[in-house]
Amino acid sequence: MALPRLTGALRSFSNVTKHEDYSEELADLTTKRSKLHAQLLKSDLTWKKIIKFVDDNLDKKEYQTVNGDLKTILQAAKQIVGAENGQEAIESGAVFLFKTFHGKECVGHDETKVIKQMFGPFPSSSATAACNATSRIASHFPEEQLRALMQLAEEQNGGNRVLFGKNIVFSFDMHDLDHSEELPVNGETDMQKNISLDY
Amino acid sequence: MPALPLDELQLTERDPKTGKLRTLPALHPEIKADRSFVLYKPPPAIRDPALVEEFLERAKFIADDLNWLLALPHDKFWCQVIFDETLQKCLDSYLRSAPRKFDVLWDCHPEVHELQKCLHRSVFLTFLRMSTHKESKDHFITPSVFGKIIYNNFLFDIPKILDLCVLFGKGNGLLLQKMIGNIFTQQPSYFSDLDETLPTVLQVFNNILHKCGLQCEGASAEPQKLEEKISVTAGNMPLQELKDIVLYLCDTCTTLWAFLDVFPLACQTFQKHEFCYRLASFYELAIPELESAIKKRHYEDNSVHCAVFSCSCENIQPFIEEFLQIFTSVLQERRFLRDYDELFPVEDDVSLLQQASSALDETRTAYILQAVESAWEGVDRRKGQAVKDPA
Repeated sequence: MALPRLTGALRSFSNVTKHEDYSEELADLTTKRSKLHAQLLKSDLTWKKIIKFVDDNLDKKEYQTVNGDLKTILQAAKQIVGAENGQEAIESGAVFLFKTFHGKECVGHDETKVIKQMFGPFPSSSATAACNATSRIASHFPEEQLRALMQLAEEQNGGNRVLFGKNIVFSFDMHDLDHSEELPVNGETDMQKNISLDY
Repeated sequence: MPALPLDELQLTERDPKTGKLRTLPALHPEIKADRSFVLYKPPPAIRDPALVEEFLERAKFIADDLNWLLALPHDKFWCQVIFDETLQKCLDSYLRSAPRKFDVLWDCHPEVHELQKCLHRSVFLTFLRMSTHKESKDHFITPSVFGKIIYNNFLFDIPKILDLCVLFGKGNGLLLQKMIGNIFTQQPSYFSDLDETLPTVLQVFNNILHKCGLQCEGASAEPQKLEEKISVTAGNMPLQELKDIVLYLCDTCTTLWAFLDVFPLACQTFQKHEFCYRLASFYELAIPELESAIKKRHYEDNSVHCAVFSCSCENIQPFIEEFLQIFTSVLQERRFLRDYDELFPVEDDVSLLQQASSALDETRTAYILQAVESAWEGVDRRKGQAVKDPA
């Protein structure tokens, strides 16, 4: 239920504001999720680039071990994204999992939240498999090499840009009512207290 | 070469469809990113896991999107702000629904609390950036064009400005003063909008009186329907309705107080509508009625105490006559005078005026002080006895 607000009345009854229709926004969360999926497909970091990165930087013997882990991540992505969404969506999901679990030892609360936000409810065993596989792949590379790879994904998200107002001191203090034990408008209180019905 | 304002800048870029080079104004809808902001909904009042989860998902989307927005370069930020309706609706939904300090206390999950705080800051910074026409030496908008942009696109309107004051004004007063001062300076039409809004504000007072079954001055002269004659008063209305009215009154008073505190220049517009007089007569009628209704119901919620507010002006000299006139017009509102005098002693104000102006009409001030004094006659409570919170 709408809270009783002065500005609510002003929005409804004055002509100084844009009269917005919010009814169409009921499905905004669904729209948002599909928009995020679309963004994921446009990421500069692709599954092919990850495979190429592994191929370029490892010898044949190591590559075969890592290749198994790459397949595990792809398989986990298939279960989390859903096979019906097509190969492109699955590969971008695999990139997302690789990026999410890079530098993580296990599937924590934050990782669960991030994956759920992107794909909705998912099988936790798939996430654990992807996390372990990512960890094993990462162990073959020096940290700087991996960081350079990850930057491909971050640049698109503006990860290295400066936030406006970063240094502004912000206060959470908000206007409130003056609390007092008695209302200040209690002219009659004393009088009422003095009345006694004890005859 | 000096930098051009954003509204005069042209960008040359490759058309994503044809691949050919083209020139576009820097402020152009095609530059806007397809982001799709979601609407804000307040934290759930109860710790229902499903509701908490929905809040967290929604709030996280907004927090991420606002951080992305704040990190955009100047030109892209303004394209998004002007042309992305989902962003405008998202910001508006926050201002409408964000919890005020006096809203019913909710048992808040720590994660909800943290995310709400993060969102609160990001929303403020977004509005701060939107109210700034000169972000740096090289990034600016022609002031008159800035005034048109914010007004024509409803980036700011009077209800939004009032919401900003009540949500952020207490702790960020100085910044907010600059923001709102700049908005009104670059776009004086906001003064006309404020003027147009005042009758609705006064109507809110009338509506409260009407709901409490009280007569009010300036109320509609429409004939009353016979079935409306059933007398509903603050004392006998359903509890939820009474609670709503009290919260409505608290919100109204606190919002107006916050706004006038941040932007005292608005007092002149308020006065054009005899606001002080209307406020005093509203107070005289409504507060005693609501107070006794609350006492009658043993209403123990401390959060519903009412706020009294004043209009203050920094430059006192030109307003002395106005001060005297306002007080002369409210002298018959005895209850209002007593409560006002208790919170803001009239004698002190008069003493200040005497120091500020040697030409003060002493007969009139003596008359006012005498009236205030007589408002206290026959009342058991004495001046200066108000129980005040030591904090």
